[in-house]
Amino acid sequence: MNKLILFRMLQEEVRLNTSFASGKGFFSFPILVLVSGLLAVLFSNVMIDDMGYKEYLQILHISAIFYGLFAGSLAFFGNEFLERIFGYFGLILGLSATQPITQRKITLLYFCKEIIFYTLFTMIPALLGALIGSNYTDINVINLLIFSFTLYISFCTGISFSYYLSSFYRISTIYAITAAFIFLALYSTLFYGNEITGSLDWYLYGNNNLLLLGLAIPAILSLTATLNIQEHNSNGSINVIGYKNRFDEYTQTYSWARKMTIPGIIAKERIDLERSKTGTKMFFSFLFPLGFLTFMNWFLDKGLPIQIDFNTIFYGVMIGFFGTMLYSWLNSIDTPYFYSTLPIQVSDIIRARLFLFGTITWWIPLIFMALISYLSNELNLLPIGLIVMVTVGIYIVNYTAMSTGLKTNSALFDAFVFIKFFLISVPPMIAMTILSLAINHKPSTILVALSIICGILSLLSLTFYRGIDTKWNNESFD
Amino acid sequence: MMKVLSLEPSKKCLDNMSVINCSNLSKKYDEVEALKKIDLEVNEGEFFGLLGPNGAGKTTLLKILTCQLKPSEGKAEVFGLETSKEFTSIKPKISIVPEQESPPSFLTPREVLELVTNIRKIDNKDIDYWLEYFELEAMEGRVCRNLSRGQKQKVMLASAFISETKLMFLDEPFINLDPIVQSKVREWLKEYVKKGGTVFINTHLLENAERLCDRAAIIHQGKIQSLITLDDLRKQKLTLEELFHEIVK
Repeated sequence: MNKLILFRMLQEEVRLNTSFASGKGFFSFPILVLVSGLLAVLFSNVMIDDMGYKEYLQILHISAIFYGLFAGSLAFFGNEFLERIFGYFGLILGLSATQPITQRKITLLYFCKEIIFYTLFTMIPALLGALIGSNYTDINVINLLIFSFTLYISFCTGISFSYYLSSFYRISTIYAITAAFIFLALYSTLFYGNEITGSLDWYLYGNNNLLLLGLAIPAILSLTATLNIQEHNSNGSINVIGYKNRFDEYTQTYSWARKMTIPGIIAKERIDLERSKTGTKMFFSFLFPLGFLTFMNWFLDKGLPIQIDFNTIFYGVMIGFFGTMLYSWLNSIDTPYFYSTLPIQVSDIIRARLFLFGTITWWIPLIFMALISYLSNELNLLPIGLIVMVTVGIYIVNYTAMSTGLKTNSALFDAFVFIKFFLISVPPMIAMTILSLAINHKPSTILVALSIICGILSLLSLTFYRGIDTKWNNESFD
Repeated sequence: MMKVLSLEPSKKCLDNMSVINCSNLSKKYDEVEALKKIDLEVNEGEFFGLLGPNGAGKTTLLKILTCQLKPSEGKAEVFGLETSKEFTSIKPKISIVPEQESPPSFLTPREVLELVTNIRKIDNKDIDYWLEYFELEAMEGRVCRNLSRGQKQKVMLASAFISETKLMFLDEPFINLDPIVQSKVREWLKEYVKKGGTVFINTHLLENAERLCDRAAIIHQGKIQSLITLDDLRKQKLTLEELFHEIVK
């Protein structure tokens, strides 16, 4: 029975993903991963020359942990999100509500499915790409296989950590935070003075005990998570106490925006944003990538002989880019089906959400920019950083809105959409990052170059914005 | 007193003007042919039922007629306008109750009706009436995500009924409603048609269809198998259920 459920869960996952994107788009994703693996190996010599051998391997391990964490977060915290976008979404995971199978068992099977799915669709293609790449370098294939095995353990650590956290999150957020701190404290104590993961330590220095510890960690995490899952029903209370009627008030407030879209839609979207408390989630969703970025900054500073200073302008580029997340959150609050009963078009909703992005959610990136600038003692760079952040934000969000409409997350699962998104977003970001890092060398030249790029991005933003009507006017809300 | 809007023209079916017209209409989803060469005409002031088993193609046809899907072949017209091209002209003239009760999760029922009247640019003076009609005034201050499925369906119906359109598309509107509300909705719809409105209803609840419809089509495996006038059926001393079983066996 377990095998059958596991197999059906895998089928379900593939069908779920192919329903987000086209079948071709989804099945092209492993090819994209394979190419990434190939490139990683082909350019490994350059990276090792730049960063140092050990530091490069450390970064790969950190990335594998974060990837596992990310994949696990999508799996274990994504169900509510799916239901919001698509309405009722029945997954096999919910089978325990109607069938004689425990939540503990079905969740464990779900966790196994996640590991198998990501192994098949990303880890194995990446390994194949790396193996192909090894033909063109002097990297030893056996060594490569052994190192890939150690990376896989780090990936499993990340995904198990998500599973572990989710099992506590089912009880309460406080439990989840406490459990995270306990694990991180234990992990830091165990690995103090060693490499960042046990498997890497074994790979570099042949320490068998640390390899066993590295292998034990994902097993312990998943075992703890499984034992922690109880058969409890949701005891979330229904909010009977009244919400104040806000619709008329907000419709009046936004009447000045009627040239952009219908004020009533903006009012509805604004109410959604407030009552779903998505603003708080948006704020915290910035912490993870920014934390990762700051950690990498610190790590590179530590490992590289040359000091790289990620300054306020660089963070302006990055935070502007994270605007995509804000737009994506706006698309995840509620299902748009109701709109199909009204005489409005998909483009009206997209524009309303762009309006909210520009007027309501701006404080989130602003807070981060101000904090980073203050902590880096670079308040003098803040105005330029803000201009860069706003320009990049508007550019990337307009493109995201034009290309993905109301289904940003699911559309980006399509490899073709993702590649286009990558090609549109990465070149200007690289250019601006390079310029930001050189700001102290030739400030006036750099400022002129930044202004030119900002100008080009603004014009492109306008083109993308105008493209929204063309692309989405005749589309349905389904 | 039951509030049914006076619709212009108020005369029922005087000139038999068709408001819905499908010719040679087909819809394919990849390899699956959901609709096969449908020819159908519904006249103004008619109560028309589209009946069929699950998966027969009822919702697909309704989605094409309400501009939510494009046909693969053939043509569908509403008020003489092609549904795949004249979206902006058709949508203000029709109201829809979709199969899935999906009012906005974070709005209260009152706010939903305010949204509808705002977007449709109609007077919002009837909001209180409809909240009371569907006994939703007790839900004041509660957002739709916290309502039961039946209550959500009431919000969907109120949103359609307040819209003051001449043509109404209903997809399984009685699902999740208790018998008392079902009866109220039936009465309102009858009155609406009497005053000149047109109803296109998808259902497999044959009892409701028999009580309400002037004409009905039975669709099975994407094809209209039978087009009947309910009066004729009664004259033949047949019930819809008997006919339905005869066709869909």
